[in-house]
Amino acid sequence: MVRYQQGDFAAATVLVRHISPRLHRFFLAKSMSRADADDLLQETWLRIHKVRHTYRHGEPALPWFYAIARHIRVDHYRKSIRAAAGERELEEMSKGVSAAAHQAGELEALLAPLSESQREVIAMLKVEGMSLEEVARAMSSSVGSVKQKVHRAYKKLRETIGATGPRK
Amino acid sequence: MKNEEIDDVLKKAAQAPQDLDPRLLERIDDSIKPSLHPVRPLPPVWLMAVGLVLVCAAISLAGAARAGFFGVAKMNLLERSLVFPALGLLACLAAVSFVHQMIPASRLRLSPGALLALNSVALLAVFADLFRDYHTDHFFSAGIACLLTGLLHAIPAGLLSWLMLRRGFAVNPASAGLVAGTLGGLAGVGMLELHCPNFQAAHILVWHTAVVPVSAALGALLGWELRFRARSNER
Repeated sequence: MVRYQQGDFAAATVLVRHISPRLHRFFLAKSMSRADADDLLQETWLRIHKVRHTYRHGEPALPWFYAIARHIRVDHYRKSIRAAAGERELEEMSKGVSAAAHQAGELEALLAPLSESQREVIAMLKVEGMSLEEVARAMSSSVGSVKQKVHRAYKKLRETIGATGPRK
Repeated sequence: MKNEEIDDVLKKAAQAPQDLDPRLLERIDDSIKPSLHPVRPLPPVWLMAVGLVLVCAAISLAGAARAGFFGVAKMNLLERSLVFPALGLLACLAAVSFVHQMIPASRLRLSPGALLALNSVALLAVFADLFRDYHTDHFFSAGIACLLTGLLHAIPAGLLSWLMLRRGFAVNPASAGLVAGTLGGLAGVGMLELHCPNFQAAHILVWHTAVVPVSAALGALLGWELRFRARSNER
């Protein structure tokens, strides 16, 4: 990351190869279509590049990447809400989104019953293997709040998976 | 079903291959390559926080110097030694919090709402303890004048603070605006304490303290508006 800040293209390429799959999976876990996730990934890298000076040496880098990805994702979500004029269109959009989720893969389908913030937390904590502290940083939240979201998400997952069983 | 079993299900699902299109990665490389030059990282948090506190102190002092130091002249030693250190301490806290708001993935020890509540409650406690004149002469006319004067100093302090940290990046501009507004509000209260000779408890508790939440609300609105505009420009 420091070498990227110093303008090293090789370091930037390594970062793009290393971080992009994680961010892409993060977007997909939010019940997004693959095309939307691709667009958001590009947009996120443009933003990362623009604000790369805000990363501080010695701090964990993953929460920094995810905080920016989350910002882009929230903007995208609000934009899509605004674009859908009227309740009927909104309803159709949500149907489309959930259909996309089912097509996108097993993980997305598993996380589909969870709320937005619960999905975010589970994706970062359990799928990406980040620590509670790192997730809290990425979400500009407290560790206690993250723990609470995990607890609620597990409760819901237990009910869902318990009722239907994991997809093979 | 146990938590460990859910963990296993999530792990298996996450391991499903999801290769990224190499052309997408190449497009990302190409988009960042032309502007890939060395960048200067942000200065240390403490340095930026000290800068913010100094800016706010300068605005308070300049405002009071223009309007007159009637308030501080009327205060006794106990009042001076409690009011100004308390304001300084709260300003330091707000400044550090604002710096963290402008750095993605900073560790936030205090949420913006909690910071605002802490500032308001601390000011109310200090003022309630020190000022015991319970008259309410010219409560509204004198109060509104003080509120406006405080805001007149809070707004430039908040804007200058934002300008100072313009190299930062707020992932949540409304929260960052709220914290900047809180910091600016403290500059406004500082100016009022230096200038205002009205020591009636109700006046100080209501109108002086109100500068902080009103300024914070204005800051949050401005942050929200900036984000909204940024989104509109992107469209």
